[in-house]
Amino acid sequence: MFDADVIVIGSGGGGAVAAKELGEAGLSVLVLEAGPWYGNKKWENPNSERGAEWSSSYDDLDVGIYKRLYNSLENNMNDRASGVFRFGPADRRRTPWHRVMRQKGDIWQLSGVGGTTQHYWTQSPRAFPAAIDGIWPISYNTLIPYYEKVEATLPVHFAPTTPKEELFYYGAKKAGWSLNPTLNVTTPGYRPNPNAILPTNKHLMNRDYSMEELSNMEGCTLKGHCVNGCSVGPSVDKIAKRSTHVSYVPLALKTGNVSIRPNSYVIKILTAQDPKEGLRATGVQFRDTWTGEVGELSAQAVVMAGGCIETPRLWLNSELPYNEWVGRGLTNHCFDWVAGVFDEKELMSILGKPAVFPYVGHTSGARVDVPGTGIFQVSCLSPGLMSYLTYGFSEAGYAGVNPPDSGEPWDIRGRVVGPALKELMLNYSRTMTYLLLTDDETLYRNRVEVDPVLRDENGPIPVISYTPSKKTLERRHQLARYACETLKAAGAKTIIRSDTPFSFMLHLESTMRMGHVVDANCEAYQVNRLFIADNSVHFNGIGGPNPTLTTQALATRTAEKLALKYFQ
Amino acid sequence: MKQAKPFAESADPLLIETFRALVEAICRDQQMRAEPDDSIKADAASQLQVHEYLIWVLDHSLSLVMGMGLTVIPQAAATATLLNVGASQFIAAGKAQDPQRAAIQGSSFASLSPTDRIRTLSMLENLICDLGALPVPYQNNGELVRFVVDYLTRLTMFGYYSEWSAYGTSRLATPNERELEHFPDGWKQVEYPGVALGYRALSGYLLKIERNGGESTIV
Repeated sequence: MFDADVIVIGSGGGGAVAAKELGEAGLSVLVLEAGPWYGNKKWENPNSERGAEWSSSYDDLDVGIYKRLYNSLENNMNDRASGVFRFGPADRRRTPWHRVMRQKGDIWQLSGVGGTTQHYWTQSPRAFPAAIDGIWPISYNTLIPYYEKVEATLPVHFAPTTPKEELFYYGAKKAGWSLNPTLNVTTPGYRPNPNAILPTNKHLMNRDYSMEELSNMEGCTLKGHCVNGCSVGPSVDKIAKRSTHVSYVPLALKTGNVSIRPNSYVIKILTAQDPKEGLRATGVQFRDTWTGEVGELSAQAVVMAGGCIETPRLWLNSELPYNEWVGRGLTNHCFDWVAGVFDEKELMSILGKPAVFPYVGHTSGARVDVPGTGIFQVSCLSPGLMSYLTYGFSEAGYAGVNPPDSGEPWDIRGRVVGPALKELMLNYSRTMTYLLLTDDETLYRNRVEVDPVLRDENGPIPVISYTPSKKTLERRHQLARYACETLKAAGAKTIIRSDTPFSFMLHLESTMRMGHVVDANCEAYQVNRLFIADNSVHFNGIGGPNPTLTTQALATRTAEKLALKYFQ
Repeated sequence: MKQAKPFAESADPLLIETFRALVEAICRDQQMRAEPDDSIKADAASQLQVHEYLIWVLDHSLSLVMGMGLTVIPQAAATATLLNVGASQFIAAGKAQDPQRAAIQGSSFASLSPTDRIRTLSMLENLICDLGALPVPYQNNGELVRFVVDYLTRLTMFGYYSEWSAYGTSRLATPNERELEHFPDGWKQVEYPGVALGYRALSGYLLKIERNGGESTIV
């Protein structure tokens, strides 16, 4: 009667986890993904040819195709308009899918199997307990076994030390932070990032092995391209960086119960009135992004996992029952970004090396956690990305035009252009950069809506609005001070605070909040058999920690609850 | 999709000069600024053709359903007009601090010194301008003006310091067909070694997670 037991919409950080867990529970699962699939024999040239419709076999995975496409070149991979990584259709001749955001900023989300985890940096910390207990409908203790399961599955390990982490720890200690050896953070301190990256290859320092050999073996080679797509490993499921298309998707396929269809944009949730249950989800309508054909699939339950923008958009475009919290309460960690430029002499005395080597090691390997305020984490990128995040992206305007801040631990705030930019960029290899994640207050006014007029081929397009609260901005300012003081303590000669646009959207959360739109099992209050398994169900911004692990823990739990309620 | 050669031959000279002037203002170096005639052709940034990157991206970023179907909406021309109208207002308000050149291909923005171009961007960003005189979609749309000033700045840097210019003759081809023709100049300048297979740079682990059964311990 039904095409499957469960349909999962989206195969990113949450959807892939739900699919694997449901498949392991013995349920038949169909996953619909809007973007391409990189690394599957059925799509040899996924950006230029339609290829097949479905893949349901682990044997379809092909590391040769994967490595050819993941070439680590930063513009090719991460160009927002036409990159391999973008939020758009597989066909790179076409434009990306547009979202309206009438303010400075950018939205870093990706379509494709693996979703945004394709270019995420893999930081996998747990939520701050203080942001959960007494606030969420479920407790931190409830989450722990699911955290443990995801951490073991990905797996999550503390990041190794390379020069930039060594310098970070040096500065953190000198600035008075102490080591915090825990996964459950209740007090301030520094620690390596818990990252979803395989341990460093044990032969990496052995010159008997060539880099070519090492890059085809299991284990990280510290090549520094996490953000531009990791391609180290002997097979798709052993790629060092554990995006979901190399971790959970292969495991899902191995169950034999999961089929995945890329290039399929879900445009409507189908529902029916059940005499006993009331309104319930019955399936989805989707559009093939290559042919434009619209298809329908039915299932006994549906899991939405398209992310914090697409999930409320789909709810609204499907005309599901009105709920004042759908799309509301958007949090984003209100990022900031700071940089410290070091002298060669200073670096020699600290590290015994003449540079920070920002392109070596995990993209982000260490952090200072400050519960109640947020986090700053050393995060270093290739020059194109680094230049614009550090010197080209700001709420504060052009530094050369504005008067300098006095009494603050940064020398420059705002965009830097012309000769000053060129000179600073000449110090790229001696520059250490930090990403700052703020404990962002949840506000009703911050939201995702759909435009009343503008449409793309998938329906009315999303409109995103985000204005941080005074409290969020105070915390962010305090974090910037902490981060810059740490750079100063490490000996940085010039310190830059970008004052990043508030709407730099990477850690979108809480637009379909648990307790408002979904219940504690992540099932919609108003539509039975409709579940959500992405960042949107978070009640808040979890205190500032990177959200993916919490979404994955919840997706694991949601799959368990779904199977228990409807299939036992 | 545009090919490099036909694009260069057919592109509107005003568009080219406006974006070339923008890239020069953002990515010029000390040596260039010191040259008395401030020749645009001598500028390293314009040799990298980053202005073409900006035009390409602006013209390949937006599609909406218009009338019968999905339509690509190019944005480079309107954005160049925004810069030129902004520059005209900047000049008319007597804000130019440096001598102007004759308008190149009719671009008021390019007639300004690089520093005055940045001041013009700043003026636009702070909405100290007649928003009603700006072209659609920027007309009376302050938030979009604020967005685009920031966007143009960072896009220029991403074009300049990424590998884009090294796609050479294939730079304006369909992204799948672009091929690197040499090591990128922007990377060379900043001593980035490029794509690597790995680095023998491990100096240990500060902490480790040990897993026994379902539980983990930190060591």
